[in-house]
Amino acid sequence: MGPLSRDAWAQRLGAFRASPSAFMAGPEGEDLGRDLLSDLRSEKLSEQTKVSLLALSMEYPAQLWPDASAAEVAATSLLDTLVLLPPRPSALRRPLLLAATTALAAGGALGPTSGASCRLLPLLLGLAAGSDLGRGFVPASEQRPLQATACECLRELESCKPGLLGGSLGLLRGLLGQEGPVQPLSLLLALALRNTLVLQSRVGAGLGGLLTDKVSPTGGGPWDWTLVEEGDGRLQPQAPSWPAAEEGEGERSLTAREHSPEEARELRAAVIQLLDTSYLLTPVAQAQLLWLLGWALRGLQGQPPALFKPQLVRLLGTAQLTLLHAMLALKAAFGEALFTAQDEALLLRRLTLAAQHPALPPPTHLFYLHCVLSFPENWPLGPEGEEAAPLLLGPQLCRGLLPSLLHDPMALLARLHLLCLLCAEEEEEEKGQLPSPRHYLEELLAGLRQRAALDGGPRALATLCFQASYLVACCLAGQPTVLTPLIHGLAQLYQARPMLAPHFVDLLDQVDSELREPLKVVLRQVVVSRPGRDEALCWHLQMLAKVADGDAQSATLNFLQAAAAHCTNWDLQQGLLRVCRALLRAGVRGGLVDLLQVLARQLEDPDGRDHARLYYILLAHLAAPKLGVALGPSLAAPALASSLVAENQGFVAALMVQEAPALVRLSLGSHRVKGPLPVLKLQPEALEPIYSLELRFRVEGQLYAPLEAVHVPCLCPGRPARPLLLPLQPRCPAPARLDVHALYTTSTGLTCHAHLPPLFVNFADLFLPFPQPPEGAGLGFFEELWDSCLPEGAESRVWCPLGPQGLEGLVSRHLEPFVVVAQPPTSYCVAIHLPPDSKLLLRLEAALADGVPVALRTDDWAVLPLAGDYLRGLAAAV
Amino acid sequence: MAQRAVWLISHEPGTPLCGTVRFSRRYPTVEKRARVFNGASYVPVPEDGPFLKALLFELRLLDDDKDFVESRDSCSRINKTSIYGLLIGGEELWPVVAFLKNDMIYACVPLVEQTLSPRPPLISVSGVSQGFEFLFGIQDFLYSGQKNDSELNTKLSQLPDLLLQACPFGTLLDANLQNSLDNTNFASVTQPQKQPAWKTGTYKGKPQVSISITEKVKSMQYDKQGIADTWQVVGTVTCKCDLEGIMPNVTISLSLPTNGSPLQDILVHPCVTSLDSAILTSSSIDAMDDSAFSGPYKFPFTPPLESFNLCFYTSQVPVPPILGFYQMKEEEVQLRITINLKLHESVKNNFEFCEAHIPFYNRGPITHLEYKTSFGQLEVFREKSLLIWIIGQKFPKSMEISLSGTVTFGAKSHEKQPFDPICTGETAYLKLHFRILDYTLTGCYADQHSVQVFASGKPKISAHRKLISSDYYIWNSKAPAPVTYGSLLL
Repeated sequence: MGPLSRDAWAQRLGAFRASPSAFMAGPEGEDLGRDLLSDLRSEKLSEQTKVSLLALSMEYPAQLWPDASAAEVAATSLLDTLVLLPPRPSALRRPLLLAATTALAAGGALGPTSGASCRLLPLLLGLAAGSDLGRGFVPASEQRPLQATACECLRELESCKPGLLGGSLGLLRGLLGQEGPVQPLSLLLALALRNTLVLQSRVGAGLGGLLTDKVSPTGGGPWDWTLVEEGDGRLQPQAPSWPAAEEGEGERSLTAREHSPEEARELRAAVIQLLDTSYLLTPVAQAQLLWLLGWALRGLQGQPPALFKPQLVRLLGTAQLTLLHAMLALKAAFGEALFTAQDEALLLRRLTLAAQHPALPPPTHLFYLHCVLSFPENWPLGPEGEEAAPLLLGPQLCRGLLPSLLHDPMALLARLHLLCLLCAEEEEEEKGQLPSPRHYLEELLAGLRQRAALDGGPRALATLCFQASYLVACCLAGQPTVLTPLIHGLAQLYQARPMLAPHFVDLLDQVDSELREPLKVVLRQVVVSRPGRDEALCWHLQMLAKVADGDAQSATLNFLQAAAAHCTNWDLQQGLLRVCRALLRAGVRGGLVDLLQVLARQLEDPDGRDHARLYYILLAHLAAPKLGVALGPSLAAPALASSLVAENQGFVAALMVQEAPALVRLSLGSHRVKGPLPVLKLQPEALEPIYSLELRFRVEGQLYAPLEAVHVPCLCPGRPARPLLLPLQPRCPAPARLDVHALYTTSTGLTCHAHLPPLFVNFADLFLPFPQPPEGAGLGFFEELWDSCLPEGAESRVWCPLGPQGLEGLVSRHLEPFVVVAQPPTSYCVAIHLPPDSKLLLRLEAALADGVPVALRTDDWAVLPLAGDYLRGLAAAV
Repeated sequence: MAQRAVWLISHEPGTPLCGTVRFSRRYPTVEKRARVFNGASYVPVPEDGPFLKALLFELRLLDDDKDFVESRDSCSRINKTSIYGLLIGGEELWPVVAFLKNDMIYACVPLVEQTLSPRPPLISVSGVSQGFEFLFGIQDFLYSGQKNDSELNTKLSQLPDLLLQACPFGTLLDANLQNSLDNTNFASVTQPQKQPAWKTGTYKGKPQVSISITEKVKSMQYDKQGIADTWQVVGTVTCKCDLEGIMPNVTISLSLPTNGSPLQDILVHPCVTSLDSAILTSSSIDAMDDSAFSGPYKFPFTPPLESFNLCFYTSQVPVPPILGFYQMKEEEVQLRITINLKLHESVKNNFEFCEAHIPFYNRGPITHLEYKTSFGQLEVFREKSLLIWIIGQKFPKSMEISLSGTVTFGAKSHEKQPFDPICTGETAYLKLHFRILDYTLTGCYADQHSVQVFASGKPKISAHRKLISSDYYIWNSKAPAPVTYGSLLL
């Protein structure tokens, strides 16, 4: 594609500027950077068009050349274009230098291995030094402007790679002393000096001869990439001299390294050289120089900051924003070493004066006022970082800085802050002939409220009034003489203009309880004392939803009852229900039940009726704490979700039973062998406090009758709980598995449901003894049972292995309650009742050392294998 | 100390976007530093579209403020400086320096050379004052001598080239953009050494020095017990020095007549080389006494090429030039007004013009007027609900004039009649507009013989003076009026 025409480029650049991201995503985006570079060499385009192309590349290099290698290629191409320019004056040289610098610095390509960097740096330094670059490279008429431009480019490179020009300090100093352009060289030298001092001190090195060595720019080059590397690419803040800005960056300070006398002398000479010619710089450049040198000298021993004094005397009379700001920076950096107490007072007076001088524009006033309240005092008393009135700023000095209704909102708020600070100090001040600031504050707030109350007035006036009230409440908390009239005034404002309800709700959300609670009471009184049917009903309901609580229930309910008849549309009904909800949460019950019932019948909108009914049901069924949780802010819903969603989510969380990991453990204790039924003994243990625990059991295979649930009011971890008894009603005498579910309430009020591990009921857990026969009749009783088993029953013989404890031990451990006849240690007759109505009879006789033969009979043949397994397992179960 | 980007946005209420970006410039090398300095708290400079929207919202310049919007209207969002945080895509871009002037919004984003979380105090950010100066510089350039839209467009189209000179890399080199323009135009002039950066060339021609003193007087008069009337003079001394040589030295002395009012709160141009400490400390903050320094006020300086404000001052003259009262009472359907104005005998009774504007806010159009005046003519602007009493060039011999009458209003319609939040009920004011040439209220003058010029050739020296009114209010004494703290000092 050939070069584009001027118009085509203008159109393309316009489209790009309108939205760079959209353009780059489009079909032309990919080629833009390449086309731009190639068309810079086109002979058909005017210089003006080419300058506009270069201007674009200076603004959007990251879009045109998105990575370091592309930036390197672009910078190379730009430098080539520069070299190829014919040796006559051209408007392109300056922008080409700027564009190449921008491409390298912004593209991250600047470095010792970059070819373009190694071409650009010597070129810039050569131009800055005004040396002859040969072949008419620079036409004489352009030499001076290009020299300045080269300095600017070098300064930008040094800003992005601190320490780069560390080796050129001597050269730059020399140039400044000769005929070089003062401003660009001064700023470049000051920046390089600052960066070098910071980096050298960090590695513990001195300046050495850096300030005096004059390296020839045509030689190997004075680029100090090593210093750049030592700086670790970390940029140096210009403003660390500010105490509050310095916190948290411990290793920042220039460790008070001592320079050799020679070094110190040279450094001092360089600084004086810079300061002496600073009047030749533009005011903004002078300010930069002061910031840089202030930072460079801070913490350096042997460099008295008094060097700055002559400049300060010269500049104190100006009201130039940058100059006064730079002076404050020096004040913050050097404190008493540069500003005596008298100097400090004078500076503060000048600042106070500038903050109100009619000849200065309002944004300047506001910034100066901020500076007054953040004034870097020699001996600050208050906490750092907070705006406060400096000690020297008495009421007399502030007089002209106090707010009036005629100020614009920002000025009013800024000055109001100062007034609040004065009021806070008033008690300590002597009551002079000045009018009381507190009284003035009250009048001012009244005026603001009056304006906010204007019918049809813009919202900004209302916002201002509430901002002022908030500011006062924050600054003067704990001063009832201020807060009481404020509360009273706000209530009147609401009365006058209920449509400000959202502002009131916002204010109540933002302020501390000290203002919030009394304000709520007063506002509630204002609302409920109304007839409840005026056109501002929606605002009243919004307000009431915020301020209604358990107090003054009957008045609130009366208001709502009266209002209900007028809530004819969905909005109003929702508003009404929101108030009900607030009351529910506050624990109001009595009259609310009636109201909700009425609403559930009366409201026109079905949604409204449903909600009323829901609230009614909740109120009727839930205890107060549970209700609070159910209606409280939902944790489940994200903060931005609509209130309806939040409400539903809240209900889900609070009213539905939540599946949860088990917070309770159950272990099976020894079973109890008393009474008509087998009873399991369960030991519960909680991991967190839980309440109203209900344990439900389900028997697999319906082997037993359904089990009753077990209730525990409260379980706490670490507090031993009483064992739980679970009676079993077997339908057949068999072991079974019990599924266990737990239902409980957490301390946050949520009801949870959890599956516990199953419990296993063993065969032996079902054993019950027969009624004890009379003394001496045991054997007869047993024989009778024994005989009754046959013929329907079954008989078997089993070898029961014995452990080291022998037969006696085995019986006493496992079978003791069931023994009917005992002839220790060799013979026992055991009768076991198996509910519902089976029996198991054992004769253990003629025990040997390692086992005993057991004769057994049962009237239920299904028991036989279970009994066999049981006996064989006894020895192992010891 | 640098700017990441700068914008000019015209505020166009009533259009869909309520504004248009007229100019923007980004500084990618500064942006790169911002990314390193700000670290995790870095928020990139957005494209023009999102920036425009967020800025207009924050400045409350979108037409829609019908509903309460928490992110704008919450009472805890308090801005006390012209420096904002803009919510863009869920992140907050801070600090954005911005202000509105003449329907143009000037905005820039200064580099903060540290992390933004927690936010450093504004006073520690060097780029903030530079940003202000940058924007003021652009504003001066756009509006100096500019009369109409096409001139504004021409100047806007010059901005890209000018910023290439004045702020090539985001670090401002000269806030005076006119200098950069001249620099571009006279690039071929070979500059000798030690040329000040604020002086782009040298003057060739007849030497002359022109000094003009403009005093503005403002006043708040209440005519009430317990509230003091206030007035203040604000002076501006403007110089244009056409002198040959690189660094000619000039000293101008401002003098006062024997009964003149001392100058206070003096602020000087940075080209002033030294100041007497009496000038530096004379301030309106202190109670006045006879020992106050009363001049002559000497200002030695090296002038720039262009016209510049050598100094500003304020002064407290013993009496206001015109003392008056305004009484307005609502009587059923009409307002009865009585106005009395008295020119002080010491004031030069020779006005370029003198008028009293009597606006009636928050009312309908004027339907009926009956009046009687002892002097001058009354003009009636019925639809604007405004009366203008044209007093003319001279007060009568008695120095005292009066106007009384009754005014009746029609039904209020919100579009046409002005709304004012202060002038509600019977709270009302009249505002005086006047100008007197070759006169200053303080008596301050620049003595031509005391002007010292250290340059070749004897310059022609011319001096001008004028007094103009500015915010000269007389409030209805029959109703509450907004007071300043100063008015309570009796």
